[in-house]
Amino acid sequence: MILAQLEGQPIVDWDWVFGHLDDIWAATSEHLLLTGIALGVGLVISLALSLLALRYRKTYTPITWVTGILYTIPSLALFSILVPITGLSVLTAEIGLVSYTLLILIRNIVAGIDGVDPAVKEAAVGMGYTRRRVLLQIEFPLAFPVIIAGIRIASVTTIGLVTVAALIGKGGLGFFILQGLRRFFTTEIMVGAVMSVVLAVVIDSLLLLIQRALTPWARAKATL
Amino acid sequence: MTDAMIRLEHVSKSFPGSATPAVADLSMEVPEGEIVVLVGPSGCGKTTTLKMINRIIEPTSGDIWVAGVNATATEPHLLRRKIGYVIQQTGLFPHRTIAQNIATVPRLLGWDPAKIDDRVDELIDLVGLETDMADRYPAELSGGQQQRVGVARALAADPPVLLMDEPFGAVDPIVRTRLQVELLSLQARVNKTIVFVTHDIDEAIQLGDRVAILNVGGVLEQMGPPEDILREPASDFVAEFLGTDRGLKRLSLIPIHAVDLDPGPVVTPGTSLQDARTMAARYEVDWVGVGMDGTLLGWLYLSEVESLGRVPEHDLRPFRSRLTTSATLKEALNAIVSTRAKVAAVFDGDRYLGMLTAGRISDEITQ
Repeated sequence: MILAQLEGQPIVDWDWVFGHLDDIWAATSEHLLLTGIALGVGLVISLALSLLALRYRKTYTPITWVTGILYTIPSLALFSILVPITGLSVLTAEIGLVSYTLLILIRNIVAGIDGVDPAVKEAAVGMGYTRRRVLLQIEFPLAFPVIIAGIRIASVTTIGLVTVAALIGKGGLGFFILQGLRRFFTTEIMVGAVMSVVLAVVIDSLLLLIQRALTPWARAKATL
Repeated sequence: MTDAMIRLEHVSKSFPGSATPAVADLSMEVPEGEIVVLVGPSGCGKTTTLKMINRIIEPTSGDIWVAGVNATATEPHLLRRKIGYVIQQTGLFPHRTIAQNIATVPRLLGWDPAKIDDRVDELIDLVGLETDMADRYPAELSGGQQQRVGVARALAADPPVLLMDEPFGAVDPIVRTRLQVELLSLQARVNKTIVFVTHDIDEAIQLGDRVAILNVGGVLEQMGPPEDILREPASDFVAEFLGTDRGLKRLSLIPIHAVDLDPGPVVTPGTSLQDARTMAARYEVDWVGVGMDGTLLGWLYLSEVESLGRVPEHDLRPFRSRLTTSATLKEALNAIVSTRAKVAAVFDGDRYLGMLTAGRISDEITQ
């Protein structure tokens, strides 16, 4: 039946696309905003939890355990559970989106800082760095490539998940996918899917460029 | 004894979970401007002792004085800014350039940026690096170059004290030898009080004004100038640790100019066979050296003089190894065993100064 309805319809109806550029732009902006908030909030929470885990080692296992469970809850189910509590709101969408960033970000922040050469830390302490300075001026900058790698994975994951949040009316480009499915209109599905892929690729590349610009030392190799 | 730059008073360190202390009731003094080398087998607490001086490791009991200040009662990070610290793995900051690495402590101390730049240039020159390395990252340098940066960084704020924890342990033997020589010539210019940890007794003997030999558990077996320790080991442990070539090691510490040279069986060209025989007999050898006006032309066997009738001026055997007075007795001994004449000829430029024989060297260390 679906096939019958799709028959004779082009995969992309360009007239529709050009007629809805404003809507596409608005949905893309919303998608970016939802992703940005999720990453921003996720990063702040992850940094706080990572610092706790680094300071008090015993907390690391429970932290990864809880964020690991959050990570494995199917997104559809999580949004459905939250709607009765927080309604069809941005808050509901963000609680879900932020939850999924935590495990990835915390693991990368802790692994990045743990991966800093102990000799470098010892030299810093031996020359009179305070603990705080070691963290801010030595450990974080050196962990930066690993942390950015985590942010890249988290951002790509989040951009994909935002489309699911369309179910609660806050889905950015996911709106087109949902709408297209309901109306058997492939153009909308394609616009939603292609644009979110484009968004993911662009954001990922941007983060990579930022990392390269900020860590010129990471590519320095012996020229001898 | 009050001019000691570093003083350890009854210092002990026990690590939790370990039945025996790492360092037990250790007292020692490091005089200003000297290199003291802590040496001993693994588990002797030499690194623990070093790290207690800048409180990377906190002593369990006892007091440590650095430059007249009680280190154990000073805020650790402030204490450390006055103590240069060099470690084996260099610990250079990979994300900072060579210049920024060297500038670390001056920046912590809040120096004026222009003054820091001048100081960095001065240090790059002092440790023998090229100026164009300043803007490179540590990963772009060889191991030996990185270790030089480590030393420059430790000297940056001109601290009176330098702690060096097996700094040359990770570089290959050729580079290590060069870095050791450089450290001594650097020390001749900067005159720091240096505590140097190594497990290599040869390195200790070469670098130390004093050597402290530690036994397992941080027990100080003997401390003193390397010549004294080699001449009179205080215990069986020390003697064993110094090794069976203790006598040879002593030779490496004595420069040729510290001993009297012998003129040797040297005659002038044209000397008669009879006089040549007399000269050779006096030295109990079967050859004579030929020289005149302060030069040494070479040598030949008495049998060769016999066939000629007189001592010739040409077609002589050369003295291959020409030693200078700054060479050591060990090098002289090497020259002796490497030539058929069994002597080491010593020169100052072209001027012949005299000879050393194995017997003469043996007398020197057994006197």
